Amino acid sequence: MDSAIRLRGLHKRYGDTIAVADLDLDIEPGEFFSMLGPSGSGKTTVLRCIAGFEQPTRGTVALFGTDVTALAPFARPVNTVFQDYALFPHLSVIANVEYGLRVAGVGRKERRARAEEALGQVRLAGFEARRPHELSGGQRQRVALARAIVLRPQALLLDEPLGALDLKLREQMQVELKELQRALGITFVFVTHDQDEALTLSDRVAVFDAGEVVQLGTPRDVYDHPRNRFIASFVGSSTLLEPAVSAALGLGSQAMAVRPERVTLDAATGGVPGTIAEVIYTGPEHRIVVDLDGLGARITALEPNMGAQNSRSRGDRVTVSVEPAAAAPLEAEPDAA
Amino acid sequence: MTTRSVSAFLAPRRRLQLAGLLTPPVLWLGLVYVVALAALLVTAFWTVDELTGQVQIEWTTDNVVEVLTEALYRTVTLRTLGIAVLVTVLDIIVAVPVAFFMAKIARPRMRHLLVIAVLAPLWASYLVKVYAWRALLSSEGLIEWAVSPFGLDTPGYGIVGVVLTLSYLWLPYVIMPIYAGFDRVPDRLLEASADLGAKGWTTLIAVVMPMIRPAIIAGSIFAFSLSLGDYITTGIVGGTTQMLGNLVYANVGAANNLPLAAAISLIPIGIILLYLAAVRRTGALRSL
Repeated sequence: MDSAIRLRGLHKRYGDTIAVADLDLDIEPGEFFSMLGPSGSGKTTVLRCIAGFEQPTRGTVALFGTDVTALAPFARPVNTVFQDYALFPHLSVIANVEYGLRVAGVGRKERRARAEEALGQVRLAGFEARRPHELSGGQRQRVALARAIVLRPQALLLDEPLGALDLKLREQMQVELKELQRALGITFVFVTHDQDEALTLSDRVAVFDAGEVVQLGTPRDVYDHPRNRFIASFVGSSTLLEPAVSAALGLGSQAMAVRPERVTLDAATGGVPGTIAEVIYTGPEHRIVVDLDGLGARITALEPNMGAQNSRSRGDRVTVSVEPAAAAPLEAEPDAA
Repeated sequence: MTTRSVSAFLAPRRRLQLAGLLTPPVLWLGLVYVVALAALLVTAFWTVDELTGQVQIEWTTDNVVEVLTEALYRTVTLRTLGIAVLVTVLDIIVAVPVAFFMAKIARPRMRHLLVIAVLAPLWASYLVKVYAWRALLSSEGLIEWAVSPFGLDTPGYGIVGVVLTLSYLWLPYVIMPIYAGFDRVPDRLLEASADLGAKGWTTLIAVVMPMIRPAIIAGSIFAFSLSLGDYITTGIVGGTTQMLGNLVYANVGAANNLPLAAAISLIPIGIILLYLAAVRRTGALRSL
C-alpha cells in the first residue's frame, strides 16, 4: 500500500535560512501523526508544503502514491485546519462549512445535508446561522474542523489547532479530535509545540529541531528512549546524567537521561547517598531535587502525593537509585557545546 | 495653579477632562460645518432686489421651485450625475487591481514606493494637475500624438475630458481605502479558500470581493461627492460643458444671485445625502 504522505528530500530555504533540511518522511493511511517541535523548527513549513501553500526548494511530496509537488492547494486531496481558524467572516457557520462543496459544484440539497452532518460530527448542530464573530474560540475551532472534514479529505492537516484555546477546552478538544480521527479513519497530520498534546494523541511522533526530524517513533519510544539531550529536555522533563554520574549510579559510562518518575528514593538496597535540596509540591505529586554526595550533580525524583505519610523536607538524607532499564543512553553530540 | 495642581484637580474628574478635550473641535465643527451649511440653506429661501442686487431677507420658495422645475437645471443635474457616476466607476475599475497589487502581491519595499506614488499627486496643486490635463488633451497634446497613428483624435475639451481629468484627480482617494480593505483580508483566508478547492478567480469572487465591498463603496463616496461639486475642472477642460458647480459659481459671481446659487447647491447636497443613506446600510461608512 502507498503511504498517505511521502516526502522525499524535502528541502525549503528562505534566503539564507534553511527551514527544512532534506527531509524523508512516510505517514501511513489512517495514522494520527504529530510533528512536534519548538517554534521555528520547520514543522509548520513541512505541513504547508504538504498542503501546497509553500513550494519546496527541492524534493517531492506524494499523496497516496501520486506526486503532487507541482499541484496547487485546490488540486490536492487534503484539507487544512488553520491555527487561527481562518473562517470567512462574511459567511455564516453553515455557509463556511458548505464553501468547499459549493466550489466543487455539489447540489444545494446534498450540500446542506453534508454540512449539517459535519457540524453534527463536531457537536456544533444548532449554530448554522451564526457568524464566526459570534462564536467562542472553541466553537470556531469546531467550524474550522467541520469545514475541512465535510470534503472527506484523505488526510487532514492540523496546524496547532488547539494553540489558542485555554487548558480545559484544549484537553476536551484533544479527546474529541482523537475520537473524530478514529470515526473518520483518515490520516491526521498534527503540528504542535505542546509535547503533552503530541504524546496524548499520536500514533507516531516526529520531533523536529532546526529543520530536521531528530527522532521519529511512537510516543512511548520518544518519551522513554529520547535519543539525545534535545529530545530528553524538550519532550517531558528529565535529568541529564553526565557519564561520571551514570557510572556512580551503576548505569554504564555514557551520558544518560532519566525521567523523574523512574528515580527511586530510599530503595531497599544500594543507591547513591545525597541530600534533598528542594521539595516542590505540585498537587498530585512531590518533585524532589537531590544533591548527590561528592558528584556535584543533582537528580530530580517524583513521588506521588500520599498525604503526610511520604512527605519529605529539605535537608533530609536519602539514597537515590535508578533501574538500568529506566535510563536512556544519549547519543554523543559532536556539535553540542 | 501649577501644572501639577491642575493635573491633580483634573485627574479624578473624567467628565471635565472630556469637556476640555472636546469643546474646541466641537465648536469648530459646529461653526464651520453646521452654521455655514445652515446659512446656505436659509439663503436659498431669500430673494434678491432686482434693482440694487442686494440680498433681501424676504421669505420665498421661488428659487427652489425654479431650480426644481426649469429644464436647464434638470439637464445639468443629470449631466453632473452622469459624470460623477462615470468617474466613480472608472476610478473603481482602475483602483481595484492597483490596490490588490499593492496589498497582496508587492513586497514591502515596492508597496511603500507605490503608496508614495499614489499619494504624491495629492501634494501637487489642483490647478497644476488640471492644466496638465488641459495640455494633454489639447489638439497638439500627448494624447493626440499617441492615438493619431490609429486614426483617432484626442477627445479634446468636453465631457470626456472632464471625466478623464476628474478620474485622475480623485483616483488616490479611491485607491487608498480599497488598498486598506485588501490589506485587512488575511492571507490565511486566501489559503483557506484554495485549500477548500477554490481557484484564484473563485476566491476573488467568493471571498475577497465580499470582504472589500465596504472599502470600494468608501472609495466611491470620495470620487462621487468630489465630482458632484467640482466646477474648476469643467471650466478648464470642459469646453462649453457645464456642471452644477458652474451654475452655482455663475450665480454667485456674474449673476450676483446668491439665493439662487444656494438653491442650486441644494441639489448636490441632496444627492449626496441620498447616496450616503443608501450606502450606510452596507457598513461602508465604518470602513472610511
